[in-house]
Amino acid sequence: MAKRKKSPGIPKRRRPPSEASGFAPLLLIGLTALALFSIDAAIIMVIGIVPTIVLGFTGKGEHKAERLQCVGFSNVGGVIPFIPQAMSRGWEFMIGDIINIVLMFGSAAIGYALVYVGPMVAAFILQGLNQDRLKKIAQQRQALVDAWSHEVLGDKEDEAVPAQTGFIRKQN
Amino acid sequence: MSGENAPVPDSQSTFGERYEVITASPLSEFSTRGGDAFAVKSRDKSAGDCYALVHHPSVPVRNEVYKTLHSKPIANLICPIERGLMNLSFEGKKVQRLVTIFGRPTGGALMGLDGKLNPRVNANRLRQNVALSILKAITALHKRGFMHRSIMPTNVYFSTPNSDEVVLGECYSMPPGYMQPFAMEPLDLAMADGTARGVGDVESDYYQMGATMQSLYFGEQLWRGRDRDSMLMARVNQGSFWALSGGREIPGALGGLIRGLTADENEERWGAEDVLDWFEGVGKPKRTTMRAWTMNRPTNFKGVAVVDRRLLAHAFARDPAEAAGFLKSIDFTSWVQMSFRDEILTDRLESLLNVKPDSGFGGMRSDDYKMVTRVCMFLHPTGPIHFKGYSFFLDGIPAMVAEAFSRDDREVLSMVVDLLDAKFLQLIGEICEIQGFKLGAQLGELRRVMPFASSKQLGKGMERVLYEMNPILPCVSQRFSNVWIGSIIQLMRALERIAGAGTTRNILLDRHLAAFCATHGMELEREFNNLAAAQHNPAKFNSLSMNFFGLLQQRCKMEALPNLTSKLVDGLAPAVKGLKNKKRREQVQIALDKSKKSGDIARISAEVNMIKVQAEDAREFAQARTLVSRLERERKKLLKKVLPNDPEAKRMGLRGSRMIALAGLVLVSFLTFF
Repeated sequence: MAKRKKSPGIPKRRRPPSEASGFAPLLLIGLTALALFSIDAAIIMVIGIVPTIVLGFTGKGEHKAERLQCVGFSNVGGVIPFIPQAMSRGWEFMIGDIINIVLMFGSAAIGYALVYVGPMVAAFILQGLNQDRLKKIAQQRQALVDAWSHEVLGDKEDEAVPAQTGFIRKQN
Repeated sequence: MSGENAPVPDSQSTFGERYEVITASPLSEFSTRGGDAFAVKSRDKSAGDCYALVHHPSVPVRNEVYKTLHSKPIANLICPIERGLMNLSFEGKKVQRLVTIFGRPTGGALMGLDGKLNPRVNANRLRQNVALSILKAITALHKRGFMHRSIMPTNVYFSTPNSDEVVLGECYSMPPGYMQPFAMEPLDLAMADGTARGVGDVESDYYQMGATMQSLYFGEQLWRGRDRDSMLMARVNQGSFWALSGGREIPGALGGLIRGLTADENEERWGAEDVLDWFEGVGKPKRTTMRAWTMNRPTNFKGVAVVDRRLLAHAFARDPAEAAGFLKSIDFTSWVQMSFRDEILTDRLESLLNVKPDSGFGGMRSDDYKMVTRVCMFLHPTGPIHFKGYSFFLDGIPAMVAEAFSRDDREVLSMVVDLLDAKFLQLIGEICEIQGFKLGAQLGELRRVMPFASSKQLGKGMERVLYEMNPILPCVSQRFSNVWIGSIIQLMRALERIAGAGTTRNILLDRHLAAFCATHGMELEREFNNLAAAQHNPAKFNSLSMNFFGLLQQRCKMEALPNLTSKLVDGLAPAVKGLKNKKRREQVQIALDKSKKSGDIARISAEVNMIKVQAEDAREFAQARTLVSRLERERKKLLKKVLPNDPEAKRMGLRGSRMIALAGLVLVSFLTFF
């Protein structure tokens, strides 16, 4: 029996590994719990973390979870100081003052700023660490050359001589 | 390969101090094929008349004969008194040679080398003294299990100028029957080449005794002036007695004795009892043999009609190519049936002989030589083996190989390589056995050396066969042409002298030296295999040489060898220089310099095992190279500028930011609620 030829088929596109983030469920559970405790507090929280919710829905690309968490933590941190006031005066009173809204959304902006500045700082630190490592590598390399001569680098000692002396052939 | 010769030792040996060989006074009457005789003065005044035989290195001596005669001399035979190595000077050239001192008869040889008969020899003395003295000597020798095989008129002497007592010359300085004249050997042995006649048997000594007495009776060298083929023809057709005497009768009782002793068939030939009966005057009926060598029908080979099967075997042996063509052109089975009506060619014998008709391809194949040999063996089973134009007995091969090496005769050596084929020799043995003769013991001896013959490896090959078959032979390498190397200790001392005078570079690549060491040393095959494998790598070769000589020095429990040690250490310079690790190189050099002067090669090779050091160095160097390449890769990677967009920086930056944000959240929450 002849073997059946395999149909070329459409190659399956592999999904990129989803960045699992427990932030959204945690936020939802937190909001539900807050609503059970105080509906005003829950409403002010929902209004305050709008930038985070927008980012949660619109965010794309690598490190989405980290960015969301960074903005989310920062945003929640900006909303929490208004919770006691909302519980005592009601959420309508709180959103009546535009400054409060600016402060709450501003905390989200701080989160965005951290997302922007963090890699720059990390690059600077890594560059410093690399310099230290390069020094160590140079020391290790020199120790090996001392023990095994230049041959260990894969070149002959004799070959290195003309290069060092800088010999220049005279043109007649 | 450096061809530097080993210098002769500076000091004379103890043996050499006891005897002074006068090289200006040769005694040619006592010289043999195995050595040259000279007058000798003994420091010990009590020693009687003696002469010294300076042995030729290329001729093996009969060591067992020396041992028996030295320990218990035989009357009427020249016996060795002592032997040893001695420094001698020939024409201004100093050499070291083995010298044997023999008791010297002063009455002169019965027949001179020039064929002049001693005036004291007459028929009466022959009858009364010579026969009895020779008989006494050879029977005593036979009782000890040895044959003389060098009984010649020139090798029998009057013991003193006035005495009628006769002594037989020595037989220890060369192999049995070595280069004896054709006429002086019994017919079967005579048909073999002069160097390969083998040990022979008791009867062969009686034949030589008879031929000697015949020669003395006629006062002629009966073996001179006749070519081999005509002599063979005459001996086969008329019998040896008539062939030698040229048809002249020897009248009286002496004639009867000589005829009895020179009978061609062993069964007919007189032995000791017959000779004693003859002395007592007891007449015995003439014995006859049933053996018939005559064929029923002559065979025409190369235009000659041959009737005797021995002569036909001989004719085939002289021209194997023509013989092969002849055998392939005839119907062999019919030819045998017609020519040998009294014999039945059994299926087994026919299959053993395996004579196949010409396949039509023409030309001589290597198998054809073997076919001719098989047929020759069938024709003359008591005779020698005829192979590729050479004729020999199996027990004569050691002397033949030694002689071939002395002439550097590659043709003979290649023939022996072809011969040492177990299957072929087995076939020959079976053909002989079917006809009532056995080759068993001789085949067993050859089987031992068969694995070496065709090998090209160092320590094997025909050189190894030479030393295995002739254990008494000194190392015949050109390097040692001035000295006598009979043992590993002597070899090491000679190398020490070579090292003192020049260079020992690549000395272990000398095939003779390697084969000699492998024969006389125990279990050195592995070392030689390693040396052979490393011969194109000087550094490794020198390291292995050091180990090898260290092993020999240790095994032989030898004294310090400073010159050889120094040369071997110098030879290690490339190996030391080749070490990659600077520290190790310095350590090894210091250790070698320190022990260089001690002369203890074994200790140096134990302390500085260069092979191990080289292997360790190579392994660690490879590890260092791997590490360097890994560092290089890492360095290249680290040399790049780190940007915020780099994945690593981005990942770490975002994680850091998240941590800060979380910390802020926790802080604010704490401040808000507490």
